[in-house]
Amino acid sequence: MNNPIRIILVGSSCFFLWWLVVLFTDVPHFILPGPDRVILVLIKKFQLILPHALITGAEIIAGLGLGSIIGFILACTLQQFKTIHKYAMPILIVSQALPVFALAPILMLWLGYGFASKLAMTTLIVFFPVTASTLAGFRNFPESWELTFKAMRPIKRRLFWHIEFPRSIPYTLAGIRIAASVAPIGAIVGEWVGSSTGLGYLMLYANGRGQTDLMFAALLILAFEALLVWGCVNRLTQKVSRYIPH
Amino acid sequence: MLKINQLNLSYSDKNLATVSLSIKQGEQLALFGRSGVGKSTLLKRILNGDPAVTVVTNRLAYISQDPAILPWQSAESNISIGSKLRNEPIDEMKVNRLLLDLELETIRKKTALTLSGGQRARIAIAQALYENAELILLDEPFSGLDRVTQITTKNLCKNLLKGTSVVLVTHDPNHALGWIDYCAFLDESELSSYRRVNEFSNDGALIKALKKNHE
Repeated sequence: MNNPIRIILVGSSCFFLWWLVVLFTDVPHFILPGPDRVILVLIKKFQLILPHALITGAEIIAGLGLGSIIGFILACTLQQFKTIHKYAMPILIVSQALPVFALAPILMLWLGYGFASKLAMTTLIVFFPVTASTLAGFRNFPESWELTFKAMRPIKRRLFWHIEFPRSIPYTLAGIRIAASVAPIGAIVGEWVGSSTGLGYLMLYANGRGQTDLMFAALLILAFEALLVWGCVNRLTQKVSRYIPH
Repeated sequence: MLKINQLNLSYSDKNLATVSLSIKQGEQLALFGRSGVGKSTLLKRILNGDPAVTVVTNRLAYISQDPAILPWQSAESNISIGSKLRNEPIDEMKVNRLLLDLELETIRKKTALTLSGGQRARIAIAQALYENAELILLDEPFSGLDRVTQITTKNLCKNLLKGTSVVLVTHDPNHALGWIDYCAFLDESELSSYRRVNEFSNDGALIKALKKNHE
């Protein structure tokens, strides 16, 4: 079974299950609205939801792009300069150990309530899986290759660009694939902490006014965006893997 | 060409043989031994420039069971990869000649990912020849190949590596028969003295000697 059919099948099953729960329990609609209500709101308030969805989508894509570039460059730097690797690793670990929720107010203070702070937040979440995965690719260099190329008396820089770098690409893409699934967290947290646009803001807005169906509609769109970004990255990974096996 | 003086192959907590050997220019030596006696370690130490090792050339090549063939590059680019790594112009004539000699002409533009084990083994030999290697270290190069491809590749080695110093490490005597001059047996405690491979009357005698060495 190919991917789109599988996604539609799983999605429909979830919707059906959700509908059954609403139908056979007495949960009030302001706690758990049925899928019919949510879809109706989605259609009726599409004009309201669309600009917020576009902003969050832009934050996710820009954050994923910037975070991936930074993550990859960082991995290359750490691989090339062992001393930097030794001193930078603890800082990187700390940057990931601190929850992004704790950093969000500081980033808001520094970068304001606009796009930049959300971009920074998403980038902060995204870069580490890319760095870690790319570094794993560099480390996973086969010993037989190392010995063969060493015997060729290579220029270190050229060995990196012609062999180590292209060989690490599937590992980087695997990292971006993980990053793609966590990138929306950065964007949404940023919007929750301080924003007047985006799906995160819309969810808080709807929650404050008891419009649970609108909240669910925003959540549905967010899930769709996350799936779309992940699907694109996944497709790219598969294409590259045809040329450079993992 | 190669001189090893009292090289201790032991690593971590494993005690292995201390090896001394020397190979003249053009001599070809097969080192037999079962897995874990330090055959591959010996080749690694040679390549990593161990203080106990003296190599009189810097033109070395290493071919292993998992040859360093870049799957995203074509067969011909893989052959001349050494030039690219040293930022030297590619010797197209040499590449063309090697493609012909190793019967790789028809697959020259194909990406290595699509090639068979035998074709990859031939590209690895072509890589070593492109480097004008004076000493080639072979680590079980025929192990992953089927019987027929093994024989074909061995014949190519016999014809094309003539006059080149070779150290072949293998657990299988068949890999050396018919093209290598000398052989020695390595076990956990010592390296036996060299014997000419043709001293053994037939394949069976060599296998028997190897088995005896393993006992």
